[in-house]
Amino acid sequence: MLRLLEKLPPGRALEFLHKIVDGICGRAYPRYQDYGSIWSLSEWMEILEETMTHFKTVVGKNTSDEEAAQQISELNANYQEAITKCLKGRKEEIRNALVERVNAISSAQLQDFDWQLKLALSSDKLSMLQMPLVNLDLDVRENGEMKPISIEMNKEELQNLINALEAANKVVLQLK
Amino acid sequence: MEEVDKILIHSLRQAGTPVPPEVQSVRDLTPELVVEAAVRCLRAVRPALGAPLSPLLPPGISARFRLASDLAAACQELGFGGDVGYQTFLYSSEHDTRRLLLFLVEKLPRDESERGAEPPGKSGALLRAIGARIQEQLGTPWVPPACRTARLQRLQGTGQLRPFVTCPLVLPQSGGPPELQEYFGGAAPPVPAQPPLSVGTPPSLLEAHATQLSARHDWEAEWGGPGLASRLPPQEYVGRKRLRARLRALEPLRQACPPRPQGPPPGPLDPAWLQEAFGAGGVGGFGGALPKGSRFTRTQHLTHEQDPQILLQQIQAAAETLHPSKSPEEDAGARRAGEEAALEETLARLEAEIEGCRGEVRDAQLSLTQAEAEVRQGRLVLGGREDALRLKARAVELLPDAESNMAKLQLVVEASSRRIVSLAGQWERHRGPLLAEYRHLRALRDSAQLESSRRLSEIRSLHERSRSAAAEARRKEELYKQLVAELEALPRDVSRAVYTQRILEIVGNIRKQKEEIGKILVDTRALQKEINSLVGKLERTFSVTDELLFKDAKRDEVVRKAYKYLAALHENCAQLIQTIEDTGTIQREIRDLEEQIEGETSAKPPASLDRILSDCRELREENALLAARARHA
Repeated sequence: MLRLLEKLPPGRALEFLHKIVDGICGRAYPRYQDYGSIWSLSEWMEILEETMTHFKTVVGKNTSDEEAAQQISELNANYQEAITKCLKGRKEEIRNALVERVNAISSAQLQDFDWQLKLALSSDKLSMLQMPLVNLDLDVRENGEMKPISIEMNKEELQNLINALEAANKVVLQLK
Repeated sequence: MEEVDKILIHSLRQAGTPVPPEVQSVRDLTPELVVEAAVRCLRAVRPALGAPLSPLLPPGISARFRLASDLAAACQELGFGGDVGYQTFLYSSEHDTRRLLLFLVEKLPRDESERGAEPPGKSGALLRAIGARIQEQLGTPWVPPACRTARLQRLQGTGQLRPFVTCPLVLPQSGGPPELQEYFGGAAPPVPAQPPLSVGTPPSLLEAHATQLSARHDWEAEWGGPGLASRLPPQEYVGRKRLRARLRALEPLRQACPPRPQGPPPGPLDPAWLQEAFGAGGVGGFGGALPKGSRFTRTQHLTHEQDPQILLQQIQAAAETLHPSKSPEEDAGARRAGEEAALEETLARLEAEIEGCRGEVRDAQLSLTQAEAEVRQGRLVLGGREDALRLKARAVELLPDAESNMAKLQLVVEASSRRIVSLAGQWERHRGPLLAEYRHLRALRDSAQLESSRRLSEIRSLHERSRSAAAEARRKEELYKQLVAELEALPRDVSRAVYTQRILEIVGNIRKQKEEIGKILVDTRALQKEINSLVGKLERTFSVTDELLFKDAKRDEVVRKAYKYLAALHENCAQLIQTIEDTGTIQREIRDLEEQIEGETSAKPPASLDRILSDCRELREENALLAARARHA
């Protein structure tokens, strides 16, 4: 495994590996258009998959440095060194990302939220209403897919929600 | 006058009149500008008065007259004492205009920026900018999407709205392994390049910032309160808290699961134990369930609900439902079904047997433990009996030589009582110093505790002070920034100091002039005195000469002649003086008249007259036009 990595010029190996780690941690993955001259598409998928698996298993199983080195012993020394260096530097980050992911498997998780403030000028019954309304958008990840939830609230409802969230935060603080 | 005009024009500019820069004095103001300045000042002074008046001079002559008359009335209502009418605005003399404008400028509310200033607080400049922007956007009317220009589309369209999508950012930080530092030094991408989409950069930054800020706040609140009271260094405090939280999280699990046979678990989170705990919880899904509402119970219920027995029942039910649907022409199917049924029967039998065996094993284990308990009890009883037997055997051995043995026993008893006394003495000897040391140590501990609580309160007060100092510093910094911004925003040309200097110079000049005037007055008075004394001397000399000559005139003809000449001379001289005085008066009158002429010339009578004449002509034309129109209509 990982033999395909040797196609990459040694100077670019570290950069590529760091980008893979970025992808694992929820940022941008490396783009094929930057590496299209080195690998074919199927090779690209393979190298991406294998590198990620390697990083994830080494960090997830918390293997020692020697064992990790054992796994990549068939590679050229330059690449071995690059992988070890990348792993050593960013172990904590990968671990945090994996813990986060494991934490998210059991139930729905809030990913992002956004809000808009609106002023309702009138309704079907009142010609003059002037009521502020907040529109809260929650991006919830459930079973691996994003589910947008949109809630419209008036002032009291929003206050209730905020109170509930603050109480929850207090409990979370005790566990931190 | 020039200085006054400059100040006046500057004030007019501040009130909102666009006075062109080449206008330097009141003389250069056109009627249009005068009217506009007056209206703007009126609006600033009393909006109710100024609002109905238009700052633009209308083209029609009659409308002009009406506007000017209204303005004059408004000025009089405001309390302008001087003579004011339409002519003050339309055919203005420099003097009247200046007086009116000075009056209006003095009535202007002082320092408008002070009135409308927002409280010096958080980012006043930013709030002001936001307010201005919102004001501007509210001012533009809503336009249907199809009719929008590009700018309006940007403002009112939804194309600029983007969902708030964040991604975790990696920011350089100190600490960590050297490889990490190397990564931050070289390969780490800049923040804008980190999110998968470039529109995610601002949300991600906002999110990262909010996270850091709230984490810091929480920690400060925590450390300021219970953290400091625990008297532990921060790391230790956090470690302890974590341990406590972990134990608390484990408590429900431990209650729900059977206790481990070999004592408590070595660590709070032993994976093997956890696994076992989860397994037990799962199998006992209908027995000792976990407390309700826990996330685990739900997942456990979902995943482990299908017990073997229930599965078996399901299979049997399925087999039964299969039976009726069997059709006679499908022999093979029937045979298979028969086989299946037989197999299931066997399976069921085997299951039942296994269950039976399990029950037997359980029974056997139960009886085994029971038997073991009995054996243990029996052994205990046996041990007690053996002790009693040994004691009795010794007593029986000693019975034959009772006397001597009694004496021996007495001796032994005495020796042991002596030994007890000596041991008690020794104990006392040891105990005394130890007790003293103990007391000493306790006192030491108490004092140390006292000291530490004193230190704690000191630290707490220091914390409080540092926090308040930081808040104060922040507030002052913001105030400073705001003041700097206000200073920047202030117009440069109003320099109070320069005006004050000018005023002082003018006052000095006036004082100098006053002194000169005083000198001249003194001179005049001296001159007057001299004249008076000369006149008196002349009178006296004349009367003496007159008497002498009059005495001699009766006797001598020549003297009579001389006397006549003298009288004539005196009369002529008096006439001369009278003439000179008259000339002075006339000259003064001439000067007065000249001044009047000059004043009239400064009022530009010829130009005003021309203008009045032309306006009158135009007015007539307009009237004729209106009359013609009325006739036609």
